[in-house]
Amino acid sequence: MAVNEKNFDKMLDQYPAKVKRNRKKHIIIRDSSTAAQEIEANTRTIPGVLTNRGCAFAGCKGVVLGPLRDVVHIVHGPIGCAYYSWLTRRNKARSDDPGKNFMTYCVSTDMQESDIVFGGEKKLARTIDEVMEIFSPEAITISATCPVGLIGDDIQQVAREARKRHGINVMSFSCEGYKGVSQSAGHHIANNGLMEWVIGQGTTEDPPGQFAINMLGEYNIGGDSWEVERVLKEIGYTVVSVMTGDGSYEELKNAHVSQLNLVQCHRSINYIAEMLEKKYGTPWLKVNFIGIQSTAESLRNMALYFGDEGLIQRTEEVIARELARIEPALEKYKKICDGKTAFCFVGGSRGHHYQGLYQELGIETLLAGYEFAHRDDYEGRDILPHVKTDADSKNIPDLQVVPDKKRFRLKIPEERMAQLQEKIPLSNYQGMISDMKDGSIIVDDLNHFETEEFVRLLKPDIFSSGIKDKYIVQKMGIPSKQLHNYDYSGPYAGFNGAVNFARDISMSFVSPTWNFIEPPWKNIPLLEGTIGEGES
Amino acid sequence: MSDKTVHCRNYNENPCSMCMPMGGILPFKGIGQSMVIIHGSQGCSTYMRRHIAEHFNEPIDVASSSLNEKGTIYGGEENLKKGLDNLIKAYRPRVIGVLTTCLAETIGEDIDRIVEEYRLERGLGQECSIIAVPTPGYGGTHFEGYWLALKELARLAGRVPKHSRINVIIPNLSPADIREIKRILGLMKIEYILLPDFSDTLDRPFERPYKKIPGGGTELSDIMAMGGSRATIQMGMTVDERLSPGKYLEKEFGVPLYNIPVPMGIEGTDTFLGLLSRISGHPAPEELSRERGRLLDCMIDSHKYNFRGRSVIFGEPELVGAMAATCIENGIFPVVLATGSKTEKLSRLLQPWLEEHHIKCLFLTETDFFTIREQAVRGKANIAIGHSDGRYLTEREGIPLVRAGFPIHDRVGGQRLLSVGYAGTAMFLDRITNTLLENKYSNYRSSMYRKFYRGDEKDAVPAGKSR
Repeated sequence: MAVNEKNFDKMLDQYPAKVKRNRKKHIIIRDSSTAAQEIEANTRTIPGVLTNRGCAFAGCKGVVLGPLRDVVHIVHGPIGCAYYSWLTRRNKARSDDPGKNFMTYCVSTDMQESDIVFGGEKKLARTIDEVMEIFSPEAITISATCPVGLIGDDIQQVAREARKRHGINVMSFSCEGYKGVSQSAGHHIANNGLMEWVIGQGTTEDPPGQFAINMLGEYNIGGDSWEVERVLKEIGYTVVSVMTGDGSYEELKNAHVSQLNLVQCHRSINYIAEMLEKKYGTPWLKVNFIGIQSTAESLRNMALYFGDEGLIQRTEEVIARELARIEPALEKYKKICDGKTAFCFVGGSRGHHYQGLYQELGIETLLAGYEFAHRDDYEGRDILPHVKTDADSKNIPDLQVVPDKKRFRLKIPEERMAQLQEKIPLSNYQGMISDMKDGSIIVDDLNHFETEEFVRLLKPDIFSSGIKDKYIVQKMGIPSKQLHNYDYSGPYAGFNGAVNFARDISMSFVSPTWNFIEPPWKNIPLLEGTIGEGES
Repeated sequence: MSDKTVHCRNYNENPCSMCMPMGGILPFKGIGQSMVIIHGSQGCSTYMRRHIAEHFNEPIDVASSSLNEKGTIYGGEENLKKGLDNLIKAYRPRVIGVLTTCLAETIGEDIDRIVEEYRLERGLGQECSIIAVPTPGYGGTHFEGYWLALKELARLAGRVPKHSRINVIIPNLSPADIREIKRILGLMKIEYILLPDFSDTLDRPFERPYKKIPGGGTELSDIMAMGGSRATIQMGMTVDERLSPGKYLEKEFGVPLYNIPVPMGIEGTDTFLGLLSRISGHPAPEELSRERGRLLDCMIDSHKYNFRGRSVIFGEPELVGAMAATCIENGIFPVVLATGSKTEKLSRLLQPWLEEHHIKCLFLTETDFFTIREQAVRGKANIAIGHSDGRYLTEREGIPLVRAGFPIHDRVGGQRLLSVGYAGTAMFLDRITNTLLENKYSNYRSSMYRKFYRGDEKDAVPAGKSR
């Protein structure tokens, strides 16, 4: 059954009137005949509706900072938040020096009631001293949890003093969970901090190799970044830094030397991308390494940007070779997947990115959405001047950067930039909506109630989201694919990733597991016989 | 027995505990038609749902009042009330647990008042009970949160006529364990009120149509009747009296309290059955006697392998106590017993066993995995027993881990692990013995070679290190 205004309205009628009015603005049915479809996003979550959203701490420490492997991340607060953000994002990291890979450590000041009453600054300072003694890292981050801001611990001051005391970079992030409306606030806070205290702190002035790039918003879930880097290096790119999957403080310090910044997850890292452009004159390119066509297109756009004949040729060679290699492998999966339908609800970019890959397998996306994205992730950056800033977004201040006197260099002339922008998403992102088919549903901040209702209405063959809604849908008899942690599989990015994804999705369709739902006795009468009519 | 030590550093490295509201969610999941809303930042609820869901592989619907910056200044009352409205409208629960967080407690939310006011404003009657539990993240670990929530639930009990049922109050056990306890109670022909009972709600069968709130759980009417029960059996030897629901029922209604360990191991299960027999006058049936005999047979068959085991056991104190006692019965003597919670009762509980067998064992309370790892190595532990965060003992030190307790995130089936009663103990024991055997076989040839050809005395090499 398709969703129309009528059954859609009926579904929302189950909400209290005020909630219905609110939620209606977060859900649209795609209609390309309407010039610009508007969606409400990045506004306060309705209390009690079972959102999938997290908090600023999760966005800052959990998403952006956490993957930096050579940094010790201290969580300042009671034990819970440190525990819950301990390796939960599944970003992989490897290090040449295992002594400098702190990914698997969870360090918390473990504040007790007395610390809440008397303040936790001293405990934090002592923790830093001990961390220095034990791990001796090049850098330390401090992430604050809810009570820290409330009791007025001045973590900035503690960090400043520790910097002096130890001569290393100690950064503090006031990412208390109550800030903003979702983890998106935390991304912004982390972006500001990395820009202020890390990027550009290195002494390198020239790119370490040809076609130097940074990869932004790639968190190396299940090894995604490694698969993409494999291809990039083969074509001839020099990857200066990855933000922040398998990333390192050492690399990040010199990220300013790159000639182009790739943006994979626009939501979580667009702030840094913009600031790098302002400060160093380096444009960013929206890429999408999920799906074969998107990967090829992203690679071609990169080559076009650099405009080097050799690079363009190598790009085509690598694409051709990779396609020839993986396409036969994909054939059998395509046969299984063809004609199926999917929901695709993920955080801030994958809800868009995976639709192309689904399509390549013959799977139509009926519903898609983001947990914590902003309007520009749906409608494209062109609407940015028209987005109202509300009190919540103002609470996270923008970091004002100015062109770096020594290092600012326009990487390409303005004229060529304008020409390129006609052809490729250079310093631009078109958003999800324009890529979606008419009649498909776009939902911002999908909650448990709506998940159930939409699954009943649209009956998708596969549901892709996270662990919190996965089990609801599987209990409804529909397979689910976690696109946050890939159900411990992956990589799904790039060419090899597409095959992995096709294999995993196909597995959901052909696994005999689903065949046993109806017990054999269900439709067999227990007693053979007839019922005589009229008997008393 | 050596002294217990509290780690002497200022910070916690790789925690062995979670926070209080996390523990508070679980008992509510074991109450019929109940929902939980967490009063604080929405991240709390999201993180906890994620962690509970990954252990049980079940939907964990926990709402949040989604407090934001405005709420921290003007109070979160409005958000909590709105949240309750929406929760009630969408789920129609019979019971709602309101748990607080670091945020709500730090800004000084008076949730009792807010909830009372809400009831009056909305004219909420008997159709929905709201229970507020103050669970600041800094107030204790998930163990304390679990028991405090249970105690607040027990406060629903009213003054009712005496009846013949027995209250059975259990710690955080697996749904399979809870089912086994129910089976034993059934075999003993005991009429009981089990609090909480998440054996169905957190391990629900696949069935159609999907229900928003799963069936099962302790009925509210049963909780209300707990004040009239003949006795309370509480498996909470390590629970502080301030948090003890059994103690509350005893004080308030004069229900005699029998505090016993989790029925694991021969002695633990004997105690449980003996007590049931004594209270009810029903003898243990033949079926349970045969199960006891089978466990004994299992213990005898395995004792030669087990005696080589030097265990490090960690997790929630109640389970650590029960598992340690079971290990001691079988010669898998513990070298380190550890919990992230603050408790002195654990060491007191186990002291008689340790003295009887002259076991030198280190107790760690309020500890972290840094300390556990360090002490496990020092004590030459060769088997670890506890939740999945102990995997670092395997990864870093080659000490194999038998997963038990909560949470188990890197394996499936945590909800189906059976470890209580005679039959469950046999399964628990087999898991340990087989892990010891796996270790032995994987090193057998290389250790023999070292011993006889190279004169190396060290024969037990931990798995993962020699291969």
